[in-house]
Amino acid sequence: MAAQTNLWSRFTLRLGGCLFLWWVLTGGNTLTSWIIGVPTIALALWVMQSVPQSENQQLSLPGLLRFIPYFLLQSVRGGIDVARRAYSPSLPLNPDVIDFPLSLPPGRPRIFFLNSVSLLPGTLSAELCDTILKVHVLDRDIDPGLNQLQTHVARLFKHPSGGNR
Amino acid sequence: MTVTEIITTMLLLASLPFFLAGTLGLLRFPDLYCRLHALTKADNLGLGLVVLALIFQADNVQQIIRLLLTWLLVLIAGATVAHLIARKARGDGHKHWSRQ
Repeated sequence: MAAQTNLWSRFTLRLGGCLFLWWVLTGGNTLTSWIIGVPTIALALWVMQSVPQSENQQLSLPGLLRFIPYFLLQSVRGGIDVARRAYSPSLPLNPDVIDFPLSLPPGRPRIFFLNSVSLLPGTLSAELCDTILKVHVLDRDIDPGLNQLQTHVARLFKHPSGGNR
Repeated sequence: MTVTEIITTMLLLASLPFFLAGTLGLLRFPDLYCRLHALTKADNLGLGLVVLALIFQADNVQQIIRLLLTWLLVLIAGATVAHLIARKARGDGHKHWSRQ
Protein backbone atom coordinates (compact mmCIF):
# COMPACT_ATOMS: atom_id res chain seq x y z
CA MET A 1 0.00 0.00 0.00
CA ALA A 2 2.77 2.42 1.00
CA ALA A 3 4.77 1.45 -2.08
CA GLN A 4 1.73 2.15 -4.25
CA THR A 5 1.29 5.62 -2.76
CA ASN A 6 5.00 6.24 -3.25
CA LEU A 7 4.75 5.33 -6.92
CA TRP A 8 1.81 7.68 -7.40
CA SER A 9 3.50 10.60 -5.67
CA ARG A 10 6.57 10.06 -7.83
CA PHE A 11 4.44 10.02 -10.98
CA THR A 12 2.61 13.20 -9.95
CA LEU A 13 5.93 14.91 -9.23
CA ARG A 14 7.30 13.95 -12.63
CA LEU A 15 4.16 14.98 -14.47
CA GLY A 16 4.15 18.30 -12.65
CA GLY A 17 7.82 18.80 -13.43
CA CYS A 18 7.30 18.08 -17.14
CA LEU A 19 4.29 20.38 -17.42
CA PHE A 20 6.20 23.14 -15.66
CA LEU A 21 9.28 22.65 -17.86
CA TRP A 22 7.23 22.78 -21.05
CA TRP A 23 5.50 25.93 -19.86
CA VAL A 24 8.89 27.49 -19.14
CA LEU A 25 10.42 26.43 -22.46
CA THR A 26 7.57 27.55 -24.70
CA GLY A 27 6.79 30.80 -22.93
CA GLY A 28 3.33 29.50 -22.09
CA ASN A 29 1.43 31.97 -24.26
CA THR A 30 0.49 29.66 -27.10
CA LEU A 31 -2.13 27.03 -26.51
CA THR A 32 -1.10 25.33 -29.77
CA SER A 33 2.33 24.46 -28.34
CA TRP A 34 0.60 21.83 -26.22
CA ILE A 35 -0.22 19.88 -29.41
CA ILE A 36 3.49 19.02 -29.42
CA GLY A 37 3.83 19.32 -25.64
CA VAL A 38 1.36 16.68 -24.49
CA PRO A 39 2.75 13.81 -26.63
CA THR A 40 6.31 14.87 -25.75
CA ILE A 41 5.54 14.79 -22.03
CA ALA A 42 3.85 11.40 -22.39
CA LEU A 43 6.94 10.10 -24.17
CA ALA A 44 9.23 11.61 -21.51
CA LEU A 45 7.24 9.98 -18.71
CA TRP A 46 7.37 6.64 -20.51
CA VAL A 47 11.16 6.91 -20.90
CA MET A 48 11.55 7.80 -17.21
CA GLN A 49 9.47 4.77 -16.29
CA SER A 50 11.60 2.44 -18.44
CA VAL A 51 15.03 3.32 -17.05
CA PRO A 52 16.11 1.66 -13.79
CA GLN A 53 14.51 3.39 -10.82
CA SER A 54 16.60 4.67 -7.99
CA GLU A 55 15.33 4.73 -4.47
CA ASN A 56 12.87 7.48 -3.90
CA GLN A 57 15.06 9.87 -1.97
CA GLN A 58 13.48 12.92 -0.49
CA LEU A 59 15.41 16.14 -0.28
CA SER A 60 15.25 18.26 2.81
CA LEU A 61 13.95 21.75 2.06
CA PRO A 62 15.85 23.47 4.90
CA GLY A 63 18.92 21.54 3.76
CA LEU A 64 18.47 22.90 0.24
CA LEU A 65 17.91 26.45 1.46
CA ARG A 66 21.17 26.25 3.39
CA PHE A 67 23.06 24.57 0.57
CA ILE A 68 22.25 27.12 -2.16
CA PRO A 69 23.85 30.21 -0.55
CA TYR A 70 26.79 28.12 0.66
CA PHE A 71 27.30 26.71 -2.84
CA LEU A 72 26.98 30.10 -4.58
CA LEU A 73 29.49 31.68 -2.22
CA GLN A 74 31.93 28.81 -2.69
CA SER A 75 31.57 28.94 -6.50
CA VAL A 76 32.41 32.63 -6.47
CA ARG A 77 35.40 31.97 -4.22
CA GLY A 78 36.47 29.08 -6.46
CA GLY A 79 36.29 31.19 -9.61
CA ILE A 80 38.19 34.09 -8.08
CA ASP A 81 40.82 31.76 -6.61
CA VAL A 82 41.58 29.98 -9.87
CA ALA A 83 41.49 33.26 -11.85
CA ARG A 84 44.01 34.79 -9.44
CA ARG A 85 46.33 31.83 -9.95
CA ALA A 86 45.97 31.98 -13.74
CA TYR A 87 46.78 35.71 -13.89
CA SER A 88 49.65 35.64 -11.39
CA PRO A 89 53.04 35.74 -13.19
CA SER A 90 54.62 33.34 -10.68
CA LEU A 91 51.82 30.75 -11.24
CA PRO A 92 51.17 29.95 -7.56
CA LEU A 93 50.29 26.25 -7.74
CA ASN A 94 51.25 23.47 -5.39
CA PRO A 95 49.03 20.59 -6.52
CA ASP A 96 48.58 17.23 -4.89
CA VAL A 97 46.11 14.37 -4.87
CA ILE A 98 44.53 13.70 -1.49
CA ASP A 99 42.33 10.87 -0.24
CA PHE A 100 38.98 11.88 1.19
CA PRO A 101 36.99 9.20 3.06
CA LEU A 102 33.28 9.40 2.21
CA SER A 103 30.58 8.90 4.80
CA LEU A 104 27.75 9.53 2.33
CA PRO A 105 25.76 6.57 1.02
CA PRO A 106 26.31 5.47 -2.60
CA GLY A 107 23.95 6.71 -5.29
CA ARG A 108 22.62 10.20 -5.59
CA PRO A 109 24.20 11.76 -2.47
CA ARG A 110 27.65 10.56 -3.48
CA ILE A 111 27.31 11.72 -7.11
CA PHE A 112 26.00 15.06 -5.90
CA PHE A 113 28.99 15.43 -3.57
CA LEU A 114 31.41 14.40 -6.33
CA ASN A 115 30.13 17.09 -8.69
CA SER A 116 30.00 19.76 -5.99
CA VAL A 117 33.64 19.09 -5.06
CA SER A 118 34.74 20.04 -8.59
CA LEU A 119 33.05 23.43 -8.31
CA LEU A 120 34.51 24.31 -4.92
CA PRO A 121 37.70 26.38 -4.58
CA GLY A 122 40.83 24.46 -5.52
CA THR A 123 39.37 20.94 -5.58
CA LEU A 124 38.55 18.50 -8.39
CA SER A 125 37.17 14.98 -7.91
CA ALA A 126 39.60 12.83 -9.82
CA GLU A 127 38.59 9.28 -8.99
CA LEU A 128 36.15 7.37 -6.83
CA CYS A 129 37.63 4.22 -5.28
CA ASP A 130 34.88 2.57 -3.25
CA THR A 131 34.52 4.85 -0.23
CA ILE A 132 37.64 6.94 -0.89
CA LEU A 133 37.41 9.95 -3.15
CA LYS A 134 40.69 10.97 -4.72
CA VAL A 135 40.67 14.75 -4.88
CA HIS A 136 43.10 16.82 -6.90
CA VAL A 137 43.88 20.05 -5.03
CA LEU A 138 45.55 23.14 -6.45
CA ASP A 139 47.27 24.02 -3.19
CA ARG A 140 48.19 21.27 -0.74
CA ASP A 141 48.71 23.78 2.09
CA ILE A 142 45.11 24.98 2.07
CA ASP A 143 42.38 23.02 3.84
CA PRO A 144 39.79 22.40 1.10
CA GLY A 145 36.87 22.29 3.56
CA LEU A 146 35.44 19.06 2.16
CA ASN A 147 34.05 17.99 5.54
CA GLN A 148 31.82 21.03 5.58
CA LEU A 149 30.57 20.22 2.09
CA GLN A 150 29.92 16.62 3.11
CA THR A 151 27.85 17.80 6.09
CA HIS A 152 25.84 20.07 3.81
CA VAL A 153 25.17 17.25 1.33
CA ALA A 154 24.24 14.85 4.14
CA ARG A 155 21.70 17.37 5.46
CA LEU A 156 20.34 17.88 1.96
CA PHE A 157 19.71 14.14 1.56
CA LYS A 158 18.56 13.67 5.17
CA HIS A 159 21.47 11.37 5.94
CA PRO A 160 22.26 10.90 9.67
CA SER A 161 25.89 12.00 9.24
CA GLY A 162 24.62 15.50 8.66
CA GLY A 163 23.38 15.84 12.23
CA ASN A 164 19.85 16.61 13.32
CA ARG A 165 19.78 20.31 12.71
CA MET B 1 20.61 54.25 -20.20
CA THR B 2 18.25 52.85 -17.62
CA VAL B 3 19.38 51.47 -14.28
CA THR B 4 18.83 47.86 -15.35
CA GLU B 5 20.90 48.43 -18.48
CA ILE B 6 23.75 49.79 -16.38
CA ILE B 7 23.58 46.78 -14.03
CA THR B 8 23.54 44.41 -17.01
CA THR B 9 26.56 46.12 -18.55
CA MET B 10 28.52 46.04 -15.30
CA LEU B 11 27.79 42.34 -14.76
CA LEU B 12 28.73 41.47 -18.35
CA LEU B 13 31.99 43.39 -17.99
CA ALA B 14 32.65 41.61 -14.68
CA SER B 15 32.25 38.23 -16.39
CA LEU B 16 34.98 38.90 -18.96
CA PRO B 17 38.03 38.52 -16.68
CA PHE B 18 36.77 35.08 -15.63
CA PHE B 19 36.34 33.76 -19.17
CA LEU B 20 39.80 35.12 -19.95
CA ALA B 21 41.16 33.44 -16.80
CA GLY B 22 39.70 30.10 -17.89
CA THR B 23 41.50 30.31 -21.22
CA LEU B 24 44.66 31.67 -19.65
CA GLY B 25 44.68 28.79 -17.18
CA LEU B 26 44.18 26.32 -20.01
CA LEU B 27 47.31 27.70 -21.70
CA ARG B 28 49.47 28.40 -18.65
CA PHE B 29 48.75 25.64 -16.14
CA PRO B 30 51.28 22.80 -16.07
CA ASP B 31 49.10 19.69 -16.38
CA LEU B 32 45.70 18.36 -17.36
CA TYR B 33 44.30 18.33 -13.82
CA CYS B 34 45.14 21.99 -13.13
CA ARG B 35 43.70 22.98 -16.50
CA LEU B 36 40.41 21.31 -15.60
CA HIS B 37 40.27 23.46 -12.47
CA ALA B 38 40.63 26.61 -14.56
CA LEU B 39 38.01 25.57 -17.11
CA THR B 40 35.31 24.41 -14.72
CA LYS B 41 35.51 27.05 -12.03
CA ALA B 42 36.44 30.25 -13.84
CA ASP B 43 34.03 29.70 -16.72
CA ASN B 44 31.17 28.74 -14.42
CA LEU B 45 31.53 31.98 -12.52
CA GLY B 46 31.78 33.88 -15.81
CA LEU B 47 28.62 32.26 -17.10
CA GLY B 48 26.90 32.85 -13.77
CA LEU B 49 27.57 36.57 -14.13
CA VAL B 50 26.30 36.58 -17.74
CA VAL B 51 23.10 34.81 -16.62
CA LEU B 52 22.64 37.29 -13.79
CA ALA B 53 23.19 40.16 -16.22
CA LEU B 54 20.56 38.81 -18.62
CA ILE B 55 18.04 38.21 -15.81
CA PHE B 56 17.87 42.00 -15.46
CA GLN B 57 16.71 42.15 -19.09
CA ALA B 58 14.11 39.38 -18.85
CA ASP B 59 10.51 40.19 -19.77
CA ASN B 60 8.82 37.43 -17.79
CA VAL B 61 9.32 34.68 -15.23
CA GLN B 62 9.78 31.96 -17.83
CA GLN B 63 12.81 33.71 -19.26
CA ILE B 64 14.39 33.97 -15.82
CA ILE B 65 13.82 30.27 -15.11
CA ARG B 66 15.18 29.39 -18.57
CA LEU B 67 18.36 31.36 -17.88
CA LEU B 68 18.81 29.74 -14.46
CA LEU B 69 18.20 26.28 -15.95
CA THR B 70 20.84 26.95 -18.62
CA TRP B 71 23.36 27.85 -15.93
CA LEU B 72 22.45 24.80 -13.84
CA LEU B 73 22.78 22.41 -16.80
CA VAL B 74 26.15 23.89 -17.80
CA LEU B 75 27.27 23.56 -14.17
CA ILE B 76 26.30 19.89 -14.04
CA ALA B 77 27.78 19.15 -17.47
CA GLY B 78 31.02 20.96 -16.62
CA ALA B 79 31.53 19.16 -13.31
CA THR B 80 30.64 15.77 -14.79
CA VAL B 81 32.90 16.12 -17.83
CA ALA B 82 35.78 17.40 -15.68
CA HIS B 83 35.47 14.36 -13.44
CA LEU B 84 35.26 11.94 -16.39
CA ILE B 85 38.36 13.44 -18.03
CA ALA B 86 40.29 13.35 -14.74
CA ARG B 87 39.25 9.75 -14.08
CA LYS B 88 40.27 8.64 -17.56
CA ALA B 89 43.62 10.44 -17.22
CA ARG B 90 44.28 8.68 -13.91
CA GLY B 91 43.29 5.37 -15.44
CA ASP B 92 45.79 5.99 -18.23
CA GLY B 93 48.48 6.62 -15.62
CA HIS B 94 48.88 10.39 -16.06
CA LYS B 95 50.92 11.64 -13.10
CA HIS B 96 49.91 14.97 -11.69
CA TRP B 97 52.45 17.78 -11.87
CA SER B 98 53.92 18.80 -8.54
CA ARG B 99 56.31 21.45 -7.42
CA GLN B 100 59.52 19.87 -6.19
